[in-house]
Amino acid sequence: MADDTGVLLEAVAKGDEKAFGRLYDLVAPRVFGLIRRVLRDPSQSEEVAQEVLVEIWRSAARFDPSRGTPTGWILTIAHRRAVDRVRAEQAAADRTRSVGAASLDTPYDTVADEVTGRLEREQVRDCLDGLTELQRQAVTLAYYRGHTYPQVSKLLNVPLPTVKTRMRDGLIRLRDCLDVEVTA
Amino acid sequence: MNADIHSLVGAYALDALDDLERAAFDRHLRECEPCRIEADELRETAGRLAADSWSAPPPALRDDVLAAVAGTRQLGPAAEQRAAKPPRRLRWVAAAAVVLAAVGAGTVVYAIQDQRVRRERVLAAILTAPDVIWHEEALLGGGRVRVATSASRDAGVILLNAAKAPEAGKVYQLWTIRGGVPASAGALGEGQAVSTQVVEELPTASAVGVTVERAPAATTPTAPLEAQVTLG
Repeated sequence: MADDTGVLLEAVAKGDEKAFGRLYDLVAPRVFGLIRRVLRDPSQSEEVAQEVLVEIWRSAARFDPSRGTPTGWILTIAHRRAVDRVRAEQAAADRTRSVGAASLDTPYDTVADEVTGRLEREQVRDCLDGLTELQRQAVTLAYYRGHTYPQVSKLLNVPLPTVKTRMRDGLIRLRDCLDVEVTA
Repeated sequence: MNADIHSLVGAYALDALDDLERAAFDRHLRECEPCRIEADELRETAGRLAADSWSAPPPALRDDVLAAVAGTRQLGPAAEQRAAKPPRRLRWVAAAAVVLAAVGAGTVVYAIQDQRVRRERVLAAILTAPDVIWHEEALLGGGRVRVATSASRDAGVILLNAAKAPEAGKVYQLWTIRGGVPASAGALGEGQAVSTQVVEELPTASAVGVTVERAPAATTPTAPLEAQVTLG
């Protein structure tokens, strides 16, 4: 999957619209799923997902393989945009937290990637289980909810430096559990 | 390496910084190669958390996106992307500079985990050698260079930690000096101020020099030396 994504992204960087269609099919469920998880609201999620996918087309040539995987790069853009939207929303109202707070479902119905997807999900869940409670909460409140670390500090009622540290050592532990390596 | 701001690396990777802090952190990463590698890896790790959130988008989104794409001009590759990249070998050992900073300065505690062993092995062998000798000199332009040598490993490590990168078009270059004759031990990339370089047979050199040269590198050092570290 990572290789396919890389090959397609390279073609997309050269303006290949057909390759972009295939890249879309490969990554859209993840992009949309992540954005929806952070934003909750389906129509907002669709809007942001469209922005993100067009942005991938626009800046495909800026992807730098020495700094991470193609999928990682795409998800970084998706997460950043989703979080930007959360922050903009929070300035107006606390809407995002009340909308569908109970619906954490992540429907996924593309059969082809089902097995890989499930294995990957299980691995992530196992690795999250390997964190301390505070590490896990610090990481997931920031990543899945789009909270800033001062907000996480308030929610968990722990001092700021502790939150910073738990985010870092939590991610380090996840990195090693998931065997993530960025090679030049 | 600024230990204080670098403690935000986890929050940075999770997009949990506000815009001001993010900008400050991006600046920090431009000046600290090992920090950037850690940030890249943690961001990549954060992305893996998305594996837990698949959701098929509405079919109409595909048509909307493809239609939008047809009318969207693409950006070219970033001009500075390649130029700013240090040589592969420097990058390979750069992550281990974190360890070196911890060992050398004793002030920065970085949690490096088991699986980093592959990258750190070379450095660790030198830095933990029973006969390792440390030398240190200040750079003319601010910052310092530290050199560790181990005769038993017949190798050494040069850690450059300059206060700032040289002006555009120039780079830091490292030299070993034997019998008064300098030989290049590698040059940093443009915009780079920090690096860790393993140098074979370093204990047989009489000195290590640091100069600022025109990018990408020079064959002979240009005076004045930014620093000279006398070994032995």
